[in-house]
Amino acid sequence: MTNQKESTRTTAVALQQSSRRVGSVLISGSTVFALILLILFFFAMRPDTFLTFVNVRNILYQISILAIIAGAQTIVMVVGDFDLSVGATSSLAGAVTSVLLLQEQGLGVALLAGVAVGLAVGLVNGVLIAYLKMSAFVATLATMTSVVGIAYLVTGGTTVFGMPAEFNQLGQGRFLNIPLPVYFAIGISILIWAGLKYTTVGRRWHAIGGNVEVARLSGVNVRWARLLAFTLAGVISAIGGILLAARLGSAAAEQGADNTLFSVAAVFLGMTVIRSGASNLLGTLVGVAIIGVMSNGLNILGVNAYVQQVVTGLIIIAAVTLSGLKTRER
Amino acid sequence: MTTTAGTTTAVAPALEAVDIVKSFDGVHALKGVQLSVQPGEIHALLGENGAGKSTLIKIVTGLYNPDSGEIRRDGETVDFSSVSSARKSGIVALYQELSIVPTISVAENVLLGENLPSRAGIVDGRSMRRRAKEQLDRLQQRIPLGKLAGELSPVQQTMVAVARALATDARVLILDEPTASLTETEIVEVFAVLRALRAEGVAIVYVSHRLEEVFELCDRLTIMRNGETIVTKNVADTNIDEVISTMVGRSADSLYPARAESIGKVMLTVEGLQGRRVKNVSFQAHAGEVLGIGGLAGSGRSELLRILAGAQGHKDGTITVDGTVLKRRSPVGRVLDEGVALVPEERRSQGVLLGTSIQENIALANLSQVSRVGIVSSGQIAKIAKRGMEQLQIKARSAKQPVGELSGGNQQKVVLAKMLARRPKVLLMDEPTRGIDVGTKAEIYRLIRELAAAGTAVIAVSSELPELIGMSDRILIMHEGSISGEVAAEGADDELLLSYAYGRSE
Repeated sequence: MTNQKESTRTTAVALQQSSRRVGSVLISGSTVFALILLILFFFAMRPDTFLTFVNVRNILYQISILAIIAGAQTIVMVVGDFDLSVGATSSLAGAVTSVLLLQEQGLGVALLAGVAVGLAVGLVNGVLIAYLKMSAFVATLATMTSVVGIAYLVTGGTTVFGMPAEFNQLGQGRFLNIPLPVYFAIGISILIWAGLKYTTVGRRWHAIGGNVEVARLSGVNVRWARLLAFTLAGVISAIGGILLAARLGSAAAEQGADNTLFSVAAVFLGMTVIRSGASNLLGTLVGVAIIGVMSNGLNILGVNAYVQQVVTGLIIIAAVTLSGLKTRER
Repeated sequence: MTTTAGTTTAVAPALEAVDIVKSFDGVHALKGVQLSVQPGEIHALLGENGAGKSTLIKIVTGLYNPDSGEIRRDGETVDFSSVSSARKSGIVALYQELSIVPTISVAENVLLGENLPSRAGIVDGRSMRRRAKEQLDRLQQRIPLGKLAGELSPVQQTMVAVARALATDARVLILDEPTASLTETEIVEVFAVLRALRAEGVAIVYVSHRLEEVFELCDRLTIMRNGETIVTKNVADTNIDEVISTMVGRSADSLYPARAESIGKVMLTVEGLQGRRVKNVSFQAHAGEVLGIGGLAGSGRSELLRILAGAQGHKDGTITVDGTVLKRRSPVGRVLDEGVALVPEERRSQGVLLGTSIQENIALANLSQVSRVGIVSSGQIAKIAKRGMEQLQIKARSAKQPVGELSGGNQQKVVLAKMLARRPKVLLMDEPTRGIDVGTKAEIYRLIRELAAAGTAVIAVSSELPELIGMSDRILIMHEGSISGEVAAEGADDELLLSYAYGRSE
């Protein structure tokens, strides 16, 4: 008798769970679904151009830098913070590297200096937020402002160009007919994904993002882990910025600025992809792809650039609403 | 029973709760509670933690709906669907915290809510200040109206909260531990105000753990225990000792395993410990021993454990674990490495990550054990989780099930498994069985005993006297941050423990 009761209960529980699973698949699937819809829509509108090898390669090329910077943003958002300075940091790193190259420093020195800039900005963010207990919003907004200023000082307020070809090659060269930044983006994404999933630091970041107090009482050094997250985000953003300068063959103080909000939007979009509603790298990449496909498709359709900006804002609202729905469902 | 302090009245009670029943998830919190408060009476509501006082207050203020029973206001049955409907009928509760908004002015605080005087949506500042002043005058308070409420002293903040209640025309005022953060002279001031309100005919329900205050201020008292009202009496007809023994009651205990037969070496020595809410605490705990720590809420019990675990800093004093002196300001991770582990008080907000799997939760406190050069091994995680789940008999579909889906008892076992995988020398437990069913309680007591027998020093804080006596070998009682008494648990006397807890050492 008890057995029977037990088994009916198990079935009921299983049913409930499977229906819940269906529901969550619908919600989590919706972001991926939206990406597929977008692709189908643009394909239907421009069947002869949109899904050609050249255009797909073009989209991948366009989103590779955003993918790298959104990866940095994902790390910080896993910890439960966010970083408004990633775009500015990337511009400054690109500018520093470019200016050093124009002063005929070696390629290695210039690249290292650019990465060091990212490390420094990330460290400052981390110290302000983790140790001096500033809010991430205020701290990264402030560093963003200063970093933009420094970038103007470094570039003298103009667009600098004329870097050596071997540098530009990093952003413009191809391997197997695919631009190098795509490989860099894939490589860095794999590293971030594995780092978040398989390292002890990744576990600590997830725990802090889940509940700071639980993490702390479990022996996690919360301040150190947050400092590390911001520092790493700075370094990765710098790499993205250096590649952007190489791709464009030039550096300007605000050329990476758009990537800040786009990276936050991509992470938000990605949060809707998994059941727990947490930031995750695969989801972020889906978000990056949506933004990339959108912008490329609208370009092909000849939509005004300002309209594109309006649409991007709407996408961010949709993403945040969706991720809100998910959290409420839990 | 309609006698209030000296006067016999035929007046209907200002507030009456009749046969209130309330259960949560099948557990009875209130089993037919009666409470009757006359206008112009200060009525104490007493009982141990968990007796049901706060549930009752939440019901009469409309925060919870009772499963059955009636609430009457001035003799008429009322049905509160929300806090605002209770407020409209004149019932207001003031809690210790959260009663004022620190960032707005005194006047705005007094008139907070639907009462801000305005013209066409623009706040009428002059009329607001005038009306706020009227209320404060009623309490004979001279508090600058324009000052930010956060800049006031605790007693002034209490007064502002009372004034706000009066501004909404409260006829029944419920005060939950109103004097907890006040000094002696401030308490005298608050009492004067409450007596004045009583003279105006306001009915006051006074919840406090401080029995001396109750006997000084109140007219009648009602004692609750285990979700029932045991007795309502005139304060003049009883005494503190009688109240304490009524509050405690008796319950048979087959829940608890036998005590330790032998106690081992000293595992933990605490000397002259000073910190937030902890004043000059010294004691020792031994291998094989279960040391219980009792005291009222706010007596510093939890803070003591948190300091020992490194979760909270301390100003002075030394902590020695198995011969090693802990460095001041050691973070939790360092203290864990030295062998001191804490199972915290609030399971859901401090103990487990609810959305995360059992195995990830267990791994979190044991990352160095399950990883090599910073890379975690999922095989190691599965192994450590399996061991913990077997040792503690955690009931779950699999180690990958999110902890939030488990029962409270199983969640608590996950917290324990996480800490036990560290093989602690000293295990600190804050309310080890709070919110857990009786069956699992017994399991946890047995487990505590097994750990002690294996050489761990277990230190457990509990608010429940039967638990404290049943599970411990020795009991320390805290009162206002210091240890006010030490008792052997065997044959310990509840009344003695409670009088230590109330700071009444003979």
